[in-house]
Amino acid sequence: MLDNKVYPDERLALARFLPLLLVSVLLSWCPSVHALEIIDDRGVRVVLAQPPQRIVSVLPSLSETVCALGQCARLVGVDRYSNFPAQVRSLPKVGGGLDPNVEAIVALRPDLVLLAASSPAAARLESLGLKVVALEPKRHADAQRVMLQLGQLLGVPDAAKLWAVIEAEVDAAVRLVPAAARSKRIYFEVNSGPYAASTESFIGETLARLGVANIVPGEMGPFPRINPEFVVRADPDLIMVGDSNFAGMQQRPGWAHMQAIAQGRVCVFPPDVSDVMVRPGPRMGEAARAMAGCLGKHLR
Amino acid sequence: MTQVPLEPVAIRASGIHASLGGVAVLHGIDLALPRGRWTSVVGPNGAGKSTLLKALAQLIPHQGTVELFGQPMTTFPARLRAQRLAWLGQNEASGDDLSVWDVAMLGRLPHQAWLAAPSLADHRAVQDALRATQAWDWRDRPLGQLSGGERQRVLLARALAVQADVLLMDEPLANLDPPHQADWLQVVRGLLAQGRTVVSVLHEISFALHADTLLIVAQGKVLHHGACADALTHRRLEQVFDQRIAIVPVAGQWVALARTGGAGDLPPGMAP
Amino acid sequence: MNAVALVQRRRRQQARVVIACLVSGSVLLLLLGIAIGSTGLENLWAAGDDAVSLQIIRDIRAPRAIGAWLAGALLGLAGAIAQGLFRNPLADPYLLGSASGASFGVGVALVLMGSTPYATDWLARLGLTTAAFVGAVAAVLLTLLLARGVQHTLRLLLAGVVVGVVLGALGSLVMMMQPEVMLSMQSFMLGSTGFIGWAACGLMAVAWCACAAPALALSRVLDGLSLGEATATSLGLPLPRMRAALVAALALATGAAVAQTGLIAFVGLAAPHLVRSLIRGTHRMFLFAASLMGGVLLLAADTLARWLIAPQELPVGVLTAVLGGGYLLWLMNQRGEPRRGT
Repeated sequence: MLDNKVYPDERLALARFLPLLLVSVLLSWCPSVHALEIIDDRGVRVVLAQPPQRIVSVLPSLSETVCALGQCARLVGVDRYSNFPAQVRSLPKVGGGLDPNVEAIVALRPDLVLLAASSPAAARLESLGLKVVALEPKRHADAQRVMLQLGQLLGVPDAAKLWAVIEAEVDAAVRLVPAAARSKRIYFEVNSGPYAASTESFIGETLARLGVANIVPGEMGPFPRINPEFVVRADPDLIMVGDSNFAGMQQRPGWAHMQAIAQGRVCVFPPDVSDVMVRPGPRMGEAARAMAGCLGKHLR
Repeated sequence: MTQVPLEPVAIRASGIHASLGGVAVLHGIDLALPRGRWTSVVGPNGAGKSTLLKALAQLIPHQGTVELFGQPMTTFPARLRAQRLAWLGQNEASGDDLSVWDVAMLGRLPHQAWLAAPSLADHRAVQDALRATQAWDWRDRPLGQLSGGERQRVLLARALAVQADVLLMDEPLANLDPPHQADWLQVVRGLLAQGRTVVSVLHEISFALHADTLLIVAQGKVLHHGACADALTHRRLEQVFDQRIAIVPVAGQWVALARTGGAGDLPPGMAP
Repeated sequence: MNAVALVQRRRRQQARVVIACLVSGSVLLLLLGIAIGSTGLENLWAAGDDAVSLQIIRDIRAPRAIGAWLAGALLGLAGAIAQGLFRNPLADPYLLGSASGASFGVGVALVLMGSTPYATDWLARLGLTTAAFVGAVAAVLLTLLLARGVQHTLRLLLAGVVVGVVLGALGSLVMMMQPEVMLSMQSFMLGSTGFIGWAACGLMAVAWCACAAPALALSRVLDGLSLGEATATSLGLPLPRMRAALVAALALATGAAVAQTGLIAFVGLAAPHLVRSLIRGTHRMFLFAASLMGGVLLLAADTLARWLIAPQELPVGVLTAVLGGGYLLWLMNQRGEPRRGT
């Protein structure tokens, strides 16, 4: 960059190039004054001429982010699992993440479709001429980036504020964690399989921020399918699980003797709280609070 | 009456060795089957008769050579061989959904050009074959709806439809009732009159004795090959069945009677 | 001669009637399939003015309906070839392991090429279809090797089941190396007609022509085989070469269908049986009719899947299982009746 002292011949060079620079800036600026460009999680570069007015979202965390950015009115269709905020529930449903209904999406005439990178419909919708942005946050940094990207796409200037709020909520949650709970070992089961949240996932990162350890190491990937025996061997101090997956957990061979099960240190989250915990969206602060509450209840 | 092979030979085999499932079944068979004659192949169960027929028809791998009308079988293209030699197996699968007509028409496959529709000659041959076996009236019925005997007649018709010079038939009388067994005899006589050669494996010895020559096979070897009317042939036949049968003349035909006890229980006047 | 000609004409007429019904049924179902969308049955003419509706009809429903018919036709043809070739009414692209082989091929291709099973461009679909074909051929050959020939049907079916399960497991193992591929492959394997585009349709149409031609030409071999292998050989049919050609046709048909729609069960099994109860005769008409029936079956299932609980969709595999499986149950009930004895 230029420093304070600009030498005479440089100043001359600058003067010669300045008009050229100005013209090119003007030329590139004029037609694309509203050009929005984003490189999505598939590495595809998507260019929109103007901020999208009709958005279909096929991933619950993205639906929530759009609404959190104040652009809920622009949503015209969501997937069947998107249920927050309440106004989203009345929108037309276009199938699920793994089985989106291509025709229903096209019939809504969206100018932007938001979906997960692993969605089957991405290629098909693009071949039909729709703008598709695939975003699938896996970690906190991803979630923050996605919020900023969506903010940029939707023309929301203060998208960074959203993340700041989340950070503040997480910090507040950290303060709720009793000292006795620090460095206890937690097992978070996401789905029956069993699929666990490792330190590499956004859930694992939240747990790390809250000061507890995770029995599932990050080398296995963010949401690995693990051997139940592994959990028995690791003998965590506390188990966090969603309501629907808790059924039958105590009957798993060897599990009844684990200290967490034997002493009842299991947090079973009702479905609406489970939804919050598994979505890397604007309610991650709330998720942190729920986790902190759980830690406070059992690890005092 | 016949003399054995001084006439032109339809099938000549030398040194046939064959195995089934790893077990050697045929041990060095040499034979020469006369053209225009009917040869019956008889022998105890498990002698290798069906295996022999399959080897002659080139349906199983074997050692040794087989010649058809003086030319080695291996030099025949498959289609030409199929036109000149027809084989009817025992207990083969049958296409239950095909109609009787379709099954008989399959016999014309060796004569049909690849994608061509059946020709007039094909139609005539199938019609003749079905009439000869009295199966013409049910030419529309699917094979699966027929009884065992009726099905056998259709399969016979299939073999006849080939109009081959040589017919090898394995147990052609299976499931046939006596009237149709007699019909089959007529059919064979008609074939012989046309100069064709018939080789049949039969376990009904009395029917086998209607043939011109008899080939006695036991334990994978040829024990005797001679005229059916020959006394020597009869003695060898009785021998191979451990004297449990007696060949006696009845009303101008040779008939095999089962002996239930010693030689003394033959009816009077029927001494061998 | 007149009697013969009459017989032939009557049977040909019956076959022609059935085929005409299947063709007109296909056309009707196609029209229905294009008219039914996320809002249920719509008026096609009213949709003419709206650009988006036109696009929906032209670019989504039309290729989907035509693609469903083509995939069904391929599976029906494969099933008919398999049943004739192996002389077993239970032979089916799935029971011989060829479908698992095809999906294994697709999985391996995805891991190596790194794309998605739902890619829409020509080249990607061609690559996936080729990989599926290779996988299907390998699976059938493996099955034949394990069963040591086709003589023992029990051994053949067992070998097919084993090969299918093993290849499915191997496929999962391969995909675990790239978890992103695994997720999309898992949903792909469930079988869906929802993502068929024009490229997929074109590919399937070419594959159908490439399979139907040799199959129809070799229909005489299948007829001869119905009398047993020995008889077929004695009739001068060059069995090894022709069996290889029929196996290749079977694998191409299965691979092409599986590469575009994933695993959809029962069509290959039920279509030939449905036709058999209507047409009796040689394989020439039968193969063609079985293919048409497969197309009608899958198209009907796809249309129903979109219509019954519109705007939601049922998985098409559920409907083919209900339609096809229900029919098979009925068929088993029928066959239970004793036949005329000897």
